[in-house]
Amino acid sequence: MSAGALERQIRPIYDALDTGSNKSAIVACNKLLKKNPKNELIKALKALALVRSQKVEESLVLCDEVLESKPTNEGVLTAMMHVLRGLGRHNDLVTMFEEAFKKQPSNEDLGIQTFLANVRAGNWKSAHLTATRMYKQFQEERYLYWSIISAVLQARDPTTPDNMRSILFKLAHRLITGSPTPSYVNAERFHLHLSILRELELWEEADKLLDSDVGKNICSTSLVCNEVRREIWHRQGRRQQEAERAEKLIVEKKDRNWLEFLAILDATLPAGASTGAEVEAQVSRARELFENVVKEDGAKDRSGHLALVDLEHRARTHGVTTDSARLTTSLKKYFEHFGSKACCFEDLKAYTGDRNGLEDFITVLDSVPDTFTNSAQLLTLINSYKLLRLSLPESEITFESELKRVANYTKHYFEALPLGDDLPATELQPADDLMLLAGNAYISLWKLTNDETHIFNAVHLLEFGVTKSKHCFLARLILIRIYRLLGSPSSALEHYRIMQIKQVQHDTLSHLLLSRASTFSLASTGDLTLSSECQEATQIYLSNSQETGEFVSRAFNVEKYSQIPEFLLFEDWLDNSLQRDLMKIEHLRMRLTHEPINSDIIDMELIELKFIFDRNHYDNRDFAIFPDYQPKIQPSLHEQTTLFGKSEGTGWLMTFLKLYIRAFQQASDLDDTVEEKLLIGDRPKQTANQGKRAPLKERLLEKNEEHLTELTADEKKLFEYATCLADWLEPYHDYTRPPPAVVLAEAARQTELKTGHPLKGIDTSPLNGLNGHKKDEEPPAIQDPPELLTTFFADIQERFKDALGRASVTELLHIATLAQEAFLLFVTETVRFKVSSVVKLNKLGALVASFKDVRAAGVSALKEISSELVKQSEYYGTTESRQSFVDSGSKAFEPKIDHDVVFTQTKKINDSRRKVLEGVGKGIARLATTYAT
Amino acid sequence: MSITRPFKATDMFKFNNINLDVWTETYGIGFYLSYLSRWPDMCVVEESPSGQLMGYVIAKSEGSGTDWHGHITALTISPPYRRLSLASRLCSFLALISSSTYKNFYIDLYVRCANTIAIGFYEREGYSVYRRVREYYGSLGVGRGGRDEEDAFDMRMPLQRDRERRSVRPGGRDIVVSAEEVS
Repeated sequence: MSAGALERQIRPIYDALDTGSNKSAIVACNKLLKKNPKNELIKALKALALVRSQKVEESLVLCDEVLESKPTNEGVLTAMMHVLRGLGRHNDLVTMFEEAFKKQPSNEDLGIQTFLANVRAGNWKSAHLTATRMYKQFQEERYLYWSIISAVLQARDPTTPDNMRSILFKLAHRLITGSPTPSYVNAERFHLHLSILRELELWEEADKLLDSDVGKNICSTSLVCNEVRREIWHRQGRRQQEAERAEKLIVEKKDRNWLEFLAILDATLPAGASTGAEVEAQVSRARELFENVVKEDGAKDRSGHLALVDLEHRARTHGVTTDSARLTTSLKKYFEHFGSKACCFEDLKAYTGDRNGLEDFITVLDSVPDTFTNSAQLLTLINSYKLLRLSLPESEITFESELKRVANYTKHYFEALPLGDDLPATELQPADDLMLLAGNAYISLWKLTNDETHIFNAVHLLEFGVTKSKHCFLARLILIRIYRLLGSPSSALEHYRIMQIKQVQHDTLSHLLLSRASTFSLASTGDLTLSSECQEATQIYLSNSQETGEFVSRAFNVEKYSQIPEFLLFEDWLDNSLQRDLMKIEHLRMRLTHEPINSDIIDMELIELKFIFDRNHYDNRDFAIFPDYQPKIQPSLHEQTTLFGKSEGTGWLMTFLKLYIRAFQQASDLDDTVEEKLLIGDRPKQTANQGKRAPLKERLLEKNEEHLTELTADEKKLFEYATCLADWLEPYHDYTRPPPAVVLAEAARQTELKTGHPLKGIDTSPLNGLNGHKKDEEPPAIQDPPELLTTFFADIQERFKDALGRASVTELLHIATLAQEAFLLFVTETVRFKVSSVVKLNKLGALVASFKDVRAAGVSALKEISSELVKQSEYYGTTESRQSFVDSGSKAFEPKIDHDVVFTQTKKINDSRRKVLEGVGKGIARLATTYAT
Repeated sequence: MSITRPFKATDMFKFNNINLDVWTETYGIGFYLSYLSRWPDMCVVEESPSGQLMGYVIAKSEGSGTDWHGHITALTISPPYRRLSLASRLCSFLALISSSTYKNFYIDLYVRCANTIAIGFYEREGYSVYRRVREYYGSLGVGRGGRDEEDAFDMRMPLQRDRERRSVRPGGRDIVVSAEEVS
């Protein structure tokens, strides 16, 4: 067949791949392969279609065949690039391009691909070498800069040993100073140059660049360069110079960038400044400058005013002055000018938390008239309320005073609503903040009394509020938190969905809904709502691994060096996000209640959890988003409304990871050697410290008291139980687990059945006698189950009974779902011993007999808890359950909020509670029956 | 008063208080990264002294010949920080970059014809309507404001390089083009 004819026939394969018709692509490839069995391009395209249809094993065979031929054809390489990325084999991708580039060293495009493949794999050293070679070969300066930034990135890589870092920075420095054209030809190269000088602390050279006209020019328009300049000056201690520069900008150019004001403040009163006449003179000089700005700007700009507040605050903190009069005066002046701006509270928050010495300012706030005819007056009142509330002393946070405050906020809220009558529905209402203040105060009342009526009232008010101000997401944030506290997950979900959390927000905000979501999960009854929310939120991590790297390459291509480290940081933070793995654990907990517990699920989860265990996590969760107007001396709104008062962090995650990894390791036949052979794709990079740490097995057993503080008391008990269970069963699992060779042979057999090809590198020759697992050593002596195990279920049942009628719905669900989890862990750990031939062969009959009692105790506790939950759920269907909340709500808000609205709202919450109690209850019973024997 | 600094990729973890507002869209990460990877100096945030993000602008430079111009893709300020001239500051900064770094002839943006507040703001900044683009926001359908809801004004401001002010013209509100003609 002529080349042209073949090309014509291949085109439809590309079309099929482009449109996602992988099946027809495979069919077309097969047809062509019959006539052209050696054609690499067709093979590569077929491999791609297979990867995209999730047929990984089949794809691997073709993929390896093509790789062995060391392709150089552009089409083959591109197809293989997609295949290898799909398989996560970035290192193989590097090798492929390196080989191709070696064969065709004058092919510039291959050089670029080799370089970028190294970048994707984080091989900075090879990237550097490739770029150096390319610079020599093609004489393009861009490649010199690629080699420079690769050296810088290698120096910053956590896997690079400390003593190498400065050598690499020095190398980068030598290269950049040797560049034929100076770095200042563009801002991005200049930025790179400055960053290297900063790392090496070559101040003299940095100053020379920065003080040159071209340097000054670049810094005046390039914010990134100016940022490094500031840091270089700062690290040199050139505060005075920075202040002089800032003063010039403020006075001559009317620059109002707060950083310029900060430069003057930092030079006047740096942290740890001493006192004395000289300092006082400096303070007065700065004061004079800021006062002039204030005179000039009036109410047009806040900079001068806030700078004065900050100056006087610093002067007081540093002991330059003991008199608060100046601070009070500056605060009063600020408030006079900007009290009617919404930002006032945020601006002054840092200076007014403590009333000491600020009595005059408090008087001003107290005397703000509580009548208003326009939004400006209303905003002033709101700001005064927020600031007064912020600085409340302990003695004024009592039930009576908070009750008074909440009545006041609510009253003004209703009075203020008409001010926004004419606004379009898309606008926020000027009165909104009063409702948020009331929400804060209601939560405070609930904390003071533990009486749910108060948070019910918060719900009534906030739900009313969001009908008036549809887009007030701040109210929805409080509502979501309250609904979870009340055990009304469907209402929380409703508000969460209205907020349309998407894309990267899934990482920062999904905690709202998914933190400890398994508590409310009905997955055991087949309702996968929360579980799917987890999956949806997880998409962002996939986008990150698919897209971010692509943009790193783009930044290289267009030489935006300042962005490359930022993109890598972003990718790393998202990839190793704490929330990602907290969600993973929640998803797993839900999954185990829904899917049959067998080796498939155990093996898959085990591999993934082990990866997670080695990650260094970043906490990207946004807790600052809550409208927190609580007094400074009290816990924040976020802390007050966290489920069970314990926020999950790394400690919580590590504890649950240990718990599940141990359980799955015991239940699984995959030991490390097997896993190593069967796993496809690159392994996570080891950081310098990781090389030195203890083996996984030891780390799993490490006790960390600090981690445990993030757990609730009940979660701690579950962890103790799981540890005890694992300790007890470990020797029997280790004895029974088939040897790696047997496991591998079985895996190879399965693969061959599926794909027609044997697994590469695995010996499947008959194993002498091992298939029968005949062992030389005797089984470990059978120990009775430890006491903690035998009593656990009775104890938790007792704990549940005790909580009934006393604890909140959420707490009951917490105990119940943990009891269920404990039972499922027992199921997981005993799956292996279900097969009677295995038990017989290993002589573990006595062990298995001892499971019976534990299992029976579990089943009986679960059934009891289940029926109590169902009983509780019935209660929430009665009028009696809602009467007191309806009465209280009606009393607080009538006639502004209709009795019927309060009634419907209360009923809705109780219906949601009824549903979740009933669902969780019935699910528990179902699981107890499924695994009863 | 605020800190004017570069928009960084990691600011995506911090912009919820701005983006949860109904008028601000949260795009896929590729959107932000594509702007940052090409026009990092045209992506700028305003940060409060307390470290909270207050608003940001995302813009690009495109076109050829005398059509070489800066384009503001997104300009947004979080509700509590409105009416503090922050948007104006971001606009001036962008005009400076567009003019001095990119040597653009003009800078332009699209705004919903019904959004009179924004149109007034841009007019004070020096922009004027160049043309009306029919059904630019068509996907939303005709809303309460009728055609003004789905049509956009293409507003432009000439920069130093456009000495003859060729990029602007009077009566632009009455010159109507279809969405296909501009995209």
